[in-house]
Amino acid sequence: MQIELTSEQRAFSDSCARLAADLAAGWHRGRGPGDIDPPAPDEKAWARIADAGWLALGLREENGGIGATAVDLAVLVEQLGYHAVAAPIVGTLMAAQQLQTWQAPAELLADIAAGTLRIAPVLTADLRSFAAVEPAWLLRQDTPNVGPATPPNLGPTAPPNHGETAPPNHGETTPHGHGQTGRPARGTAEAGVLAWDAAGAAMAVLPALGTAYLLADATGFADVTRAVRPLGEPAMTIDLTIPGDDALAGLGAFALSLLTADLLGTMQAALDSAVEHAKVRSQFGAHIGSFQAVQQLLADSHVLVEATRSATYYSAWAVDALPGAQALRAARAAKAFASRSAVEVCEHAIQVFGGIGMTWEAPAHVWLRRAQADRLALGDEHFHYAAIAAAEFAAASTSKSGS
Amino acid sequence: MDFADDPAAAEFRAGLRSWLSEHLAEYAHGTGYESAEAVERTHKWHKALAQAGYVAVSLPAEYGGRGLPDSYEGIVNQELAAAEAPPSPPIGHIAHAVVDFASDELKTRVLPGLLGCTQVWCQGFSEPGAGSDLASLTTTATADGDRFVVNGQKIWTSGAMWSRWCLLMARTEPDLPRHRGISMLVVDMESSGVDRREITLASGSREFAEVFFDNVSVPAANLVGERGQGWQIAMHMLAYERGPADMGWVGRLGQVIATAREAVSSGQLTADEALRQRLAAAAVDVEVLQWHVARSLANRGPGSRSEAGSVDKLLTIRIEQNLYHVVNDLAAASFVVGPPTTFANYLWSRAQSIYGGTQQIQRQIVAQRILGLPRD
Repeated sequence: MQIELTSEQRAFSDSCARLAADLAAGWHRGRGPGDIDPPAPDEKAWARIADAGWLALGLREENGGIGATAVDLAVLVEQLGYHAVAAPIVGTLMAAQQLQTWQAPAELLADIAAGTLRIAPVLTADLRSFAAVEPAWLLRQDTPNVGPATPPNLGPTAPPNHGETAPPNHGETTPHGHGQTGRPARGTAEAGVLAWDAAGAAMAVLPALGTAYLLADATGFADVTRAVRPLGEPAMTIDLTIPGDDALAGLGAFALSLLTADLLGTMQAALDSAVEHAKVRSQFGAHIGSFQAVQQLLADSHVLVEATRSATYYSAWAVDALPGAQALRAARAAKAFASRSAVEVCEHAIQVFGGIGMTWEAPAHVWLRRAQADRLALGDEHFHYAAIAAAEFAAASTSKSGS
Repeated sequence: MDFADDPAAAEFRAGLRSWLSEHLAEYAHGTGYESAEAVERTHKWHKALAQAGYVAVSLPAEYGGRGLPDSYEGIVNQELAAAEAPPSPPIGHIAHAVVDFASDELKTRVLPGLLGCTQVWCQGFSEPGAGSDLASLTTTATADGDRFVVNGQKIWTSGAMWSRWCLLMARTEPDLPRHRGISMLVVDMESSGVDRREITLASGSREFAEVFFDNVSVPAANLVGERGQGWQIAMHMLAYERGPADMGWVGRLGQVIATAREAVSSGQLTADEALRQRLAAAAVDVEVLQWHVARSLANRGPGSRSEAGSVDKLLTIRIEQNLYHVVNDLAAASFVVGPPTTFANYLWSRAQSIYGGTQQIQRQIVAQRILGLPRD
């Protein structure tokens, strides 16, 4: 049993860290909210990201990808979190994996892998789940949901290369019998959903509708390193196939694992920075890091970071090694733990920074923003606790009907 | 990255499971430290487990262990908990001190009894005036020819009442700076001048004692390591004592969750939505602790940093104490009405942040030795 990164993974982590630091150095927070760079890399930076192979990592070789493991992806994403990289890489990885799971055409996936098609995942507006995905894997019964439905006939907007194979083979079987209530009227599919981590993205896909949408301007979003955008007009149809339950659960586990890794990197950065500050800031004639009250706060933060690291590794390993449902259960636990812990660590960091931590100039708020927004993406801890409670801590009479 | 058993580990696990299914019933009931009979049954269980080859599995085979990776200690822990067996004997930290520092002669003399569980050991560290500030200990061991003469008092000595041997920290070099003047000795508890007095804990457990040493003669050959090396050995041991798997702990917390889950789903206990969510949160915490311990054990080996044990201990404290708050709320009135077990378990969860170095001391270790923050 070996539960650490391999030497190859450590080397990969170092190379990811170098590029992530470079990208972060090219992004400026400015003097305030009106002066900040958008969280979208320019063409040159995006080309570097694509050249590094990051966008191709999770896709299989036949789809123009590299076929890396979820652990490899977690290694990359931890560094993106650590350097608070303001580029929609996690969103792209998530959207690519979703489309691969829905068996999107290989050439479309290859375009995403190469960075030529910039695409974002679509979440429900409450951010708790992928939009228009059957509820089996992430949704609770009371969660707002779009679709699935038969794809609207968008005719002329379909581009020549994709969606030509007719008829689309999704939508014919309506899984789990939810279709009868979920069919949206044409034109309302984009309501109640948001493209997530969508800065600079050309479009976002609602898989259950087999439709890619253009994206509207970014909505206000607390995380200054990412953008969320409402959907605009339909852009094209894509030939997709509804995945089985196990594949959908695996997709959920994958997406949650990426967010867990992002939270890990974010909290590690906040802790490291707070520790460095505590070593140099003096009050009462001593470095504040020598005070027990400060030491205890930071020690607790370190414990949470290390536990989250273990959870991140387990969650990513489970995506690669366990059946979808088990991987999803593990990913829920890991994401719930990381969500709560990352916020606590980032809040502790701000406390250690004191007044400086409350300024725009200091980076502490960027980590806290990212932690809070990541926490909500695909469900915060309360959401996952509720799902686990419903499945595992219900009285026998209700657990039978509920699961 | 592999959290799963490899074939050898799976075989080991299956072997232990089958041994338990065959033999556990004989030993499962009435163990503990509340009465002389319970203690006797506990020791019988330890001996049986050792004879079957499931004690100190990560220690070298030449001294009675099995030379397996540390992760196998985690497997023993998990399987005992899953079978609702009594825990394994908490001797890993003492065994590591002896194996890693004692002379070959001393090892040959004492390890078979320790690892075979035929002789009980205790650990003489804390004193009335040296709790968190362990290095201020005043028990002395004065060199006198080929022996040391020990004088002083120890407290919170777990198992002292029925121990044959005590691994004792005593000051041998009173003139050296306090951390450098301490040595580690193996003391025969049947020596003349040793006096033990039982301490009854708030829970009713009678596991602890005070031990008084009045001109106790200890052969020089019973010195572990070098004179003045005691502090270093103690810190080495604590890495193992603070690791939750070594103390048979993590598996038991998983069992608490499983019991709660069963009680709720069978309708034996009722939980409203708020409480069910807290149970789910506690279950998540215990799972994360299990993954973390698996990672710690897989990475631990010769030369690993003892401070990592403090991280694991702090995580365990946080998770265990919260877990007991939740299950106490689930128990509702039976937390205080009826058999004393529920309340005793809760009290023990409060001890988690005291023994083996308090929560506050562990945090200082993490802050100063891992994060590199300055000492005051």
